Amino acid sequence: MDLPQGTLDLLILKAVAIEPQHGWAIAERIHQVSNTALTVNQGSLYPALHRLERRGWIRASWDVSDNNRRAKYYELTAKGRRQLEEQTDAWRALTAAINLLLDHS
Amino acid sequence: MLDDLRFRIRVLFRRGAAERELADELRFHLERQADKYVASGMSRDEARRRVRIEFGGVEQIAEECRDARGLALIDTTLQDLRYAVRTTRRSPVFALLAVATIGLATAAIATVASLADTLLWRHLGAEHPDDIVSVTATRGRRTDGAVSYPDYLTFRDRVTTVGTLAAHYSTAPLFVATGGNAREVNGAVVSANYFSVLGMQPAAGRFFYEDEDRVPDRDRVAVLGYDFWQTTFGGARTAIGAPITINGAVFTVIGVARPRPVSLTPLPVNVYIPTMMLRVGYRWCDDSLAVSCTVLGMIGRLAPGRTIAEASAELAAIKPAAWDRAPIGENRGIHVSRPRGMSEDDAEPRLVATLGAVAIVLLVVCCANLAGLLGARSLARQTEFAIRVSLGAAPLRIVRQVVTESVLLAGLGGVGGVLLSRVFIGALARMFFSMDDEGHPLYYDFSQSNATVLTTLLSAFAAGILFSVMPALRAARKPAVSSTAARSASARWSTSRWLLAAQAAAAVAMAAVAALLAFSARAVVEGRNYEAAHVALMRVRPRLIKYTPERAQRFQREAIDQLHALPSVQSVSMVGIGTVLSGGSMQVGLPGWQSGQRLTVSYNEVGPAYFATLQTPVIAGREFDDRDTATSAPVAVVGEALAGRLWPPGRALGSTILVGRAERQVVGVVADVSMKSRGEAADLWVFAPFWQNPGQIDSRIAIRTAGDPAAVLPELARVVHHVDPDVPIAETITLPTRLSGLTRPVRVGALFIGYAAALAMFLTAIGLYGALAFAVSRRTKEIGIRVALGASRGRVVRSIVNDGVRVVFAGAAAGIGLAIAASRAVASLLYGSAAADWLFYVAAVFAVAGIGLAASLLPAWRAARIDPIVALRQD
Repeated sequence: MDLPQGTLDLLILKAVAIEPQHGWAIAERIHQVSNTALTVNQGSLYPALHRLERRGWIRASWDVSDNNRRAKYYELTAKGRRQLEEQTDAWRALTAAINLLLDHS
Repeated sequence: MLDDLRFRIRVLFRRGAAERELADELRFHLERQADKYVASGMSRDEARRRVRIEFGGVEQIAEECRDARGLALIDTTLQDLRYAVRTTRRSPVFALLAVATIGLATAAIATVASLADTLLWRHLGAEHPDDIVSVTATRGRRTDGAVSYPDYLTFRDRVTTVGTLAAHYSTAPLFVATGGNAREVNGAVVSANYFSVLGMQPAAGRFFYEDEDRVPDRDRVAVLGYDFWQTTFGGARTAIGAPITINGAVFTVIGVARPRPVSLTPLPVNVYIPTMMLRVGYRWCDDSLAVSCTVLGMIGRLAPGRTIAEASAELAAIKPAAWDRAPIGENRGIHVSRPRGMSEDDAEPRLVATLGAVAIVLLVVCCANLAGLLGARSLARQTEFAIRVSLGAAPLRIVRQVVTESVLLAGLGGVGGVLLSRVFIGALARMFFSMDDEGHPLYYDFSQSNATVLTTLLSAFAAGILFSVMPALRAARKPAVSSTAARSASARWSTSRWLLAAQAAAAVAMAAVAALLAFSARAVVEGRNYEAAHVALMRVRPRLIKYTPERAQRFQREAIDQLHALPSVQSVSMVGIGTVLSGGSMQVGLPGWQSGQRLTVSYNEVGPAYFATLQTPVIAGREFDDRDTATSAPVAVVGEALAGRLWPPGRALGSTILVGRAERQVVGVVADVSMKSRGEAADLWVFAPFWQNPGQIDSRIAIRTAGDPAAVLPELARVVHHVDPDVPIAETITLPTRLSGLTRPVRVGALFIGYAAALAMFLTAIGLYGALAFAVSRRTKEIGIRVALGASRGRVVRSIVNDGVRVVFAGAAAGIGLAIAASRAVASLLYGSAAADWLFYVAAVFAVAGIGLAASLLPAWRAARIDPIVALRQD
């Protein structure tokens, strides 16, 4: 299943909330945590990462990855954490409303 | 927001590193993904292939990342520029043509901008020019009224909004003698504070003390202009304290101004004398310091923090009480302005506007031409664009690429244009702005201002965008495949046809107008109803040395007799008012007319044999001769047009005409001489005898010579000087010189528009050649087939030439309409009859069509040499 419009930013923020991750790991994490239900289009992942970095929601640094190669790791900033909370609330409210609508018979 | 900006700037400065990081990041991802597939049992190669397919175009994603980082604009512009330099190097002909034509066209823009700046816009060259205000009196609609000395004092002593208010009469013809060397020079009569208002410094000695400008006629002190000091005293310090005679009075030199002082007129000032010496400097009032003698301009510096509006209000409130009661036409109100520009000719603002329009049209023509060529070139580059698009470049990126290339070329052209315009402006200054129509040297500062340069560069950039946007959009829109079908379709060059026709039309209009102006200027010098080529002029000014009318007239008669006695002189006459061929104005009417019915006509007082001297035909009766004296019956000669207005045909002679208040009997009718352009009503003329005015003092003499008048001018001056060495002689020039001075705007216009026309024709030729050559190269296969099927070479040539000439001829014919409209617009610069104008239109059409024909011959010849076998193998 492809990602619904506009949710990629939220999922990225969530994926890097616990610990710094590099791009490939972020995609993998979303894929796995969603029980392989969600697949990140790799073409849109990196522009999204750079956009979020420009907005100051995530911060990037280079580090050595688990297989001993240099990788670019992204981590959440304070601003990003606020965004994550806001967007999570907004998403919950939205899905709750949509569920209400769908369950209403 | 601030974060964002900081991020962008940081990214911009470490762009190279950022690029590498982006590449590393994406490579890491690809490798990691491949590792994953390998781990699940795929071969390394297969894994790599799979990853590539999933991931999509790396370059495209990198591009989107750059976009996301917000540095796309700056980044891609730099990239486009680097790319532009490379492509430009690969096709130098188009690049050279673009730079050259934009350069030539923007040179025209820069030249007009310079003219406009110097003539109309520029503030005085003094320090803090924004504080300097010029104060003039309003007289009816005019706002340039001069004031009398007592009125100046009223303003000076009461004003508070203007810190210092100075008075000046900057165009004083002074007859200056220094040790036997006597000549008429332009001088200025100025108040002692004049120098400090303009921030001038002495190069030697000092300027006037306030006390030297307090008592009338007491302090005979003079300050010299720098150039005058150099020519008359050789720049010697001993000049300070030396005596010089000005208009017959002996002055002492006390100082010298620095070179190129701030000047309020284009006439350089050679000598300054104080306002208290106005009676020496200005001789047309009985008492030049009286309240009735309005001759002074006022200039001042606003007090700190004051505005023009405040000064205006205050000066209007403190104006002399008598102004409120003054009749219409005399000083009544006050006008405060910042002095701008050096123009003294009412025709110049319109001239500058016309030339500006021409320069803009020229630049647009240039753009149309380059758009056509670029369109063809973009078609030729379609393969390149198609490859870039399939590599992931957005179509908009292609548009920006083409536009960037063009703007780069146009920018280079603009720089060239600025440099070239310096040459043009220098030439214009030397040819037209170095001497006035009375032979006085002029100085205009035509140095280029920053605003001029900026305007030119901006117009070049605008041109670069203008000529590239359309072709660029089309190039990006075209399908990426380049098939033979697409090729022959594009060979029909339909848009460039329109562009070419438009260029031809503009070229015709400009060529026709340039020719009209050139012949117009010649028409004035050659004259209708006068013959100027053999007439010398001279002005004698006994008034400057305060001769009485009796003494002056005795001198005049003697001078004219002596001149007449010269073998090289055929006839001599003179005018009492204004200049030869023009004059003043006068109210005329018939006995019994109401005053409201009277006509305002041109008027002069002319000597015996005036019309013979100018070879103006006398149509009926006689011209003035020695019978017409102060004691004989008052007579008049009228021009043909005025005679037609006042009397039935043939009834003018012997009739009585009211000239001013005097009744005069008409003794002659002469052919009309009009110095008016087509935009103005023709002159109506009435003449009275010079000798019937007992008040004559000065005159302008016209001398018909047997040979070249320029050759005998020194001899003529010597003879008159010999009659009375004290009498100032000025304006010893030939009539053609004066007439060409009068037609300066026309000649500037002719030269400038001629340049534009030549460039437009050249562009049309280049454009046509380019379009046809391109069409031939695209149609090689088609032409090959035709030849193979039996079409003769002549037929191929004809078809190509036809194609080109038809377009140009159609455009050129349409240009006639444009030419007629354009010549209406410049009617105020055209002289003489419009009857032969059509000749110029037709000639311009044939000239442009002929150039079109020449331009199509080469491509046609090349088409005729196409070998069908080679052509069919193409592609």
